[in-house]
Amino acid sequence: MRRVLLIVGVIGLLGGLFAYGLLRGEPDRDIPSAIVGRQAPSFVLPLYERYQPEYGESFTLADHLGKPLVINFWASWCAPCYEEAPVLQSYWERYQDTDVQFLGIQTQDRQQFDAGRQFLDQFGLSFPNGMDDASAVSVNWGLFGVPETYFIRRDGTVEHRLVGPVTAAVLDEHLAAILR
Amino acid sequence: MKLHPVTVPSLRPGPTLRSRWLFACAALLLGGFVAAQDVELHSRVFEIARQLRCPVCVSESVADSNAQLAQQMRQMIQQQLEEGRSEAQIFSYFTNRYGDWIMLEPPKRGLHLVVWVLPVVAGLAGLAGVALLVRRWLATARQPIVVGQEALDRVRAELESGEG
Repeated sequence: MRRVLLIVGVIGLLGGLFAYGLLRGEPDRDIPSAIVGRQAPSFVLPLYERYQPEYGESFTLADHLGKPLVINFWASWCAPCYEEAPVLQSYWERYQDTDVQFLGIQTQDRQQFDAGRQFLDQFGLSFPNGMDDASAVSVNWGLFGVPETYFIRRDGTVEHRLVGPVTAAVLDEHLAAILR
Repeated sequence: MKLHPVTVPSLRPGPTLRSRWLFACAALLLGGFVAAQDVELHSRVFEIARQLRCPVCVSESVADSNAQLAQQMRQMIQQQLEEGRSEAQIFSYFTNRYGDWIMLEPPKRGLHLVVWVLPVVAGLAGLAGVALLVRRWLATARQPIVVGQEALDRVRAELESGEG
């Protein structure tokens, strides 16, 4: 009797694991970022024409260290990026008089400059946005996908990395943390 | 009619032709050498990329994926190899950004050791279990079969009566 129970138990355990593997769906993408708590990797990002009069041809991260930064990676094909863009714009409008700097980085979107311009037009994004055409900045930042948003403290360390679209609650919490 | 002088090229290769041949051979050798180096570099890039997980794919290596991020990662590997960096330095570049997650084979240290040690332990435990079972069976088989007097009498009686 005990032996039968043991066999049933082992078969049940293996069957349960098999069913879990089949039913769990997409693997979890929210893998902890290795750069959180460390210095933000430097980059020089070419900006879209509309931002050049105010910010120059490119955005050099080193020139902006000392300010809290919100860096958002997006792509023109990414549906959640359309969801978060108005939220980002409204927070930029609210915070642009402080020393916080927002930056949008279009990535994994090779040569899609026109689609990028359409995206910027659609949401009237007034904070600087540029194109990481070869995805070099993305790899250097350990990006897993889009959208991803990084909150950088004044000392240049990464405070938080968010996978998925930003919400007002996340922006409230992490803007407060990097403004501290 | 005025005849223009025509220069007929000599059939015997002159020094100019010979030097051309030499130059062509040298260029061919050099080209072959460069191509061989390119192939070697390319295969090293893919060898390293095969050990890295593509961040935007599901269960695919950087070598197998055609995603833009994977292509960029291969380009970065090539660039770093050209700069003379070692395989370990390249892996460290990616693990510094993506953590150990980026390695398709978990590193043989810390908690990851469980993945390497557990199958060996399980295999050894299985072998030990089988050995124990075989020993028990053999021990049982070696034991003499004891038949009681009553059973022997019954068999004998059945044989004698012709029922068996």
